[in-house]
Amino acid sequence: MTELRRLWILFRPYRGWMLLGTLAAILTLIANVTLMAAAGWFLTAMAAAGIAGVAMNYFTPAALIRGSAMIRTAGRYGERLVNHEATFRLIASLRVWFYRHLEPLAPARLQQYHSGDLLSRIRADIDALDNLYVRVLVPVVVANISILLFTVFLLFYHPLLAISGLSFLIVAGVGLPIWSQLRGQAPGQRIAEDEGTLRTAVVDGVQGMAELTLYGATERQAQRIDGLSRRLVADQSRLSSDHGLTQAAVGLCASLSLWVLLWLAIPMVHDGTILPPQLAMLALFTLASFEAVAPLPQAFQLLGRTLAAARRLFAIVDTQPAVPAPSGASPMPRGFDVEIANVSFSYPEANKPALSEISLRVPEGGRAAVIGATGSGKSTLFNLLLRFWAPSAGTIRVGGKDILDFHGDDLRRHIAVVSQHTYLFDATIRENLLIANPEASQGSLEAACRVAQIHDFISELPDGYDTWVGETGVRLSGGQGRRIAVARALLKDAPILLLDEPTEGLDAATERDLMQALGKLMAGRTVLLITHRPAGLDWVDQVLVLDQGRELARGDASVVPKATAATLLAVGPKIAAKTSQ
Amino acid sequence: MSVTAWLKSQRPLAGKALAHSIWLSTANGLFAIAQAWLLAVVLNGVIFAQAGLAAVRPWLWGLLGVFLVRALIVWLAERAAFQAAANVRVALRDRVYRHLQTLGPSYLAGQRSGAIAETLTKGIDDLEGYYARFVPAMTLVMILPLAILTAVIPTDWLAGLVLLVTAPMIPLFMIIIGSGAEARNQRQWKQLARMSAHFLDVIQGLTTLKLFGASRREVDVIARVSDDYRASTMQVLRIAFLSSAVLEFFASVGIALVAVFIGFRLYDLAVPVPSWISVPDIGYLQGLFVLMLAPEFYAPLRNLGTQYHAKMGAVAAAERLIEFLGTEPRQRLTGTQQLADARPLGVRFDAVHFSYEEGREALRGLTFEIPPGQRIALVGTSGAGKTTVVSLLLGFLSPTEGRILVGEQALADIDLEDWRRHLAWVPQQPRLFQGTIADNIKLGAQDADLEAVREAARRARADQFIEALAAGYDSLVGERGAGLSGGQIQRIALARAFLRDAPLVILDEATANLDPESERLVQEGIDELARDRTLLVVAHRLATVRGADRILVLDRGRIVEQGAHQELASTRGLYARMIAAYGGSEDESTSAIDTGERR
Repeated sequence: MTELRRLWILFRPYRGWMLLGTLAAILTLIANVTLMAAAGWFLTAMAAAGIAGVAMNYFTPAALIRGSAMIRTAGRYGERLVNHEATFRLIASLRVWFYRHLEPLAPARLQQYHSGDLLSRIRADIDALDNLYVRVLVPVVVANISILLFTVFLLFYHPLLAISGLSFLIVAGVGLPIWSQLRGQAPGQRIAEDEGTLRTAVVDGVQGMAELTLYGATERQAQRIDGLSRRLVADQSRLSSDHGLTQAAVGLCASLSLWVLLWLAIPMVHDGTILPPQLAMLALFTLASFEAVAPLPQAFQLLGRTLAAARRLFAIVDTQPAVPAPSGASPMPRGFDVEIANVSFSYPEANKPALSEISLRVPEGGRAAVIGATGSGKSTLFNLLLRFWAPSAGTIRVGGKDILDFHGDDLRRHIAVVSQHTYLFDATIRENLLIANPEASQGSLEAACRVAQIHDFISELPDGYDTWVGETGVRLSGGQGRRIAVARALLKDAPILLLDEPTEGLDAATERDLMQALGKLMAGRTVLLITHRPAGLDWVDQVLVLDQGRELARGDASVVPKATAATLLAVGPKIAAKTSQ
Repeated sequence: MSVTAWLKSQRPLAGKALAHSIWLSTANGLFAIAQAWLLAVVLNGVIFAQAGLAAVRPWLWGLLGVFLVRALIVWLAERAAFQAAANVRVALRDRVYRHLQTLGPSYLAGQRSGAIAETLTKGIDDLEGYYARFVPAMTLVMILPLAILTAVIPTDWLAGLVLLVTAPMIPLFMIIIGSGAEARNQRQWKQLARMSAHFLDVIQGLTTLKLFGASRREVDVIARVSDDYRASTMQVLRIAFLSSAVLEFFASVGIALVAVFIGFRLYDLAVPVPSWISVPDIGYLQGLFVLMLAPEFYAPLRNLGTQYHAKMGAVAAAERLIEFLGTEPRQRLTGTQQLADARPLGVRFDAVHFSYEEGREALRGLTFEIPPGQRIALVGTSGAGKTTVVSLLLGFLSPTEGRILVGEQALADIDLEDWRRHLAWVPQQPRLFQGTIADNIKLGAQDADLEAVREAARRARADQFIEALAAGYDSLVGERGAGLSGGQIQRIALARAFLRDAPLVILDEATANLDPESERLVQEGIDELARDRTLLVVAHRLATVRGADRILVLDRGRIVEQGAHQELASTRGLYARMIAAYGGSEDESTSAIDTGERR
């Protein structure tokens, strides 16, 4: 239940709204019960007075009926308006709250989460929290208060009636929800698993359609999906049946409560404990009072789901950033040379270090390449340089200052990255470029794109720089994406440049063009290139060869690369290192 | 067809369950009338006939019976409603997926697979509300009020008249207030989708934002987007709430009028109606009965109001389904001829044109031959048309002009399934399906025994790492399976091709970097696969093209050069320029692999 307390803290700024919304809900409920009870009493009293031929004041009850009918209508409208307004305000603030906590975790701490899984959970879980207030919190508070009021009301007539009414309300409002929740746990879990398996089968069937078609396996996949779909529905049907049973049982509780009331109250009418019109009133009151507990079974069911969602969100929110922010202001670097001194690093829960005692010094304006096969630790080195992780031992200095003394954003202001994966946002090309420098003019955008050799392509698009790209927009090829990355780096105009396999996966001609663009980008900057291929090594003036996190060779570009690169791809870096030493 | 009409047209899929659910809910409404009558009889007896508990006891037992039956009906109706929607969901999911299969891989290549998966899973589940709630509610609104009127009018036509007059006011005013709400609602659903998309986009691109120091700026954007969403949602909701307030108002007025008319007559007051109307007399029993029915009369309308949002969710989901189902397959129709048994196979492209859309030709009169038993490499810059050639060969596309010949037969005349039985294909990024490694190798040869699977794995150089796994061939792969490296996945895909034992193998070389050891093993596997078979390789590595019998150089949808490596390298054509771009060092690295091949 600690989740509830933490959620309450998040909800606290909206206390005023919530109080107002809850009051409106209680008022509406009471008005509705009053309407029914008063109408029953009124009718019976009028009939009794009519038969007996006595005068009665029918204006007061008539006014009560009219008044409660109006309050009911206005109250429900107001209650909905207030509660939804509060919910949406709450959700908006939750999104910002969540993003604030998520942002420092990227990318180091988010790697352990399965990417697609993480994203779908973030969306679904935030949405689940919005149920908590309107569909859980308000109904529970309203039910508690109104059950208390109803019981007190019945106590005025007879303790037995109060006990009977209260018992049925508790059975319907507490017993049934708990029963349905307990029974729902196992199928609920199965349904979650079914949904996961079905989803995987569908993704398999869609992304792997070409292979399935070719290997004649489409019919089997269609049957598999259909089978999983039926299994999901079968498990849901059990849950839904219980849901129906609970619903029926709440209704039955209301009916039985009325029935028992009649058994108890009819003799009371005879012995004069209660008046005849009161019997009609109490009967209709009893039926109406169960409106207070009707939403509770669903509320309990949602509560479990909401708390699970909250737990998943808190798990991310509670994660500490991989590199803590320094307490003071960021230092001013003296120049932009990069010095890596005896750096070692292990990923959490990895059994061997990703980097061991790596040293490399790149003078300001100098160019170095880090070369090695996949898993040799090249990318780790970049993650350390960008302050996404902190070294386990050793230091990295930029302009003579330890990068751990910088705030992340301040350090990265000095660094531009061109990597093999260029993320394009669902936005226009212009907006995608402006990320690098929000103040850039159209002229400077075009200049950067000319250097990156993408301007001509963009100009030929019907919407030019306003062409929508990203997932829902025009698809850019790998080479075009990389050129956008080069243009971004130019716009950012940072003194240090990290190139992460910038030409990987491109065909030879595209690669050559891109290298030309990169050449212009590199001019006058401190450059670090990581690659597993020898292409481009003639651009750099020193090389560090990595194998499984260790330095195999380091030295002048004119001697080392020729020897290593010739054999690197063919027989592996081990032999390459031997020949170079 | 409008979305609503489409949703309606899918109703037969629900089968009898939908009718059951409606009948059960109708029965529930009828029993509510009986319940009101019994309760009125009991109260009337006790209050005005001084009846004791003993006298009303039979009525009370009857009331208990009605209570129990109604509870049972509510339960059964809920089950039937679920079943109705479940039938639709299962049937539609199967139909939509099968339709996607007929649209084929060439259609899917241009789509976001995540969005399709979302539509097939959650999108179809969103239809639940329409068939389980909205359709029954819509039908009951036409049945139950009539049933109640039938009970009320003979008892007291004046009250019946009040109900009859107020009822049409409700939909009327709801329509007046809600006109335009539908369009606004639709917009709202789209805005919600856009907002989630934006949120996802930001999270996916978070590292990029951080690299540019833009991630903090995004806090304000998220706050603004969420707040805009709140404001516009509230606009829609205000109207929705207002229209349900109108509903409540008229229902309350109706009930109050009924109560007043009955009460006045019971007290012998003049009912405020014109004098020419002769007002019927009424007793307490009938009065109470009618009063208790009044809320039941408005209940179906109220229920319909609350189920309206269930329809909105379904409409949004249905729009995407209609889009899928409305897409005509571009895939070619299959021929009927069996492939003449030729082993190994030879294929010829004869002036083949292909365009994905009007005026944008991907292939422009492509003519070339893949002679039986030869190893052909296809090279070219990205966008040259390599993928289109493969898709045509695999039968995912058919030429807009020209023809493809297999031996002497036209590919268009050959039964596609038979043709594909003679093909093996290793794509650039082979996919492992959920299941065991053995299942994955057996993808194209379901009946193969373990021995054959092992043999295929051995020849694909995959046996060693598979046998090193704890569960061996029974190791689970796919999303929750053991993490296999790119090279290992490649070799499993090669084993698939071996087991298929097809005379024509099409191989899309991986561009992703493999570690040197994997690269060597994959290469060995490919070399073995090429033996006694016709092999077409979409090549990205010089090592591969050097080993080919012939190289086809593709540029902008045409073959611009063809020949052996040495031949092409010595001319000053596109091929020579492409090699030059790789640089001298790459040449040396490839020569090492060549020695390996010649061994």
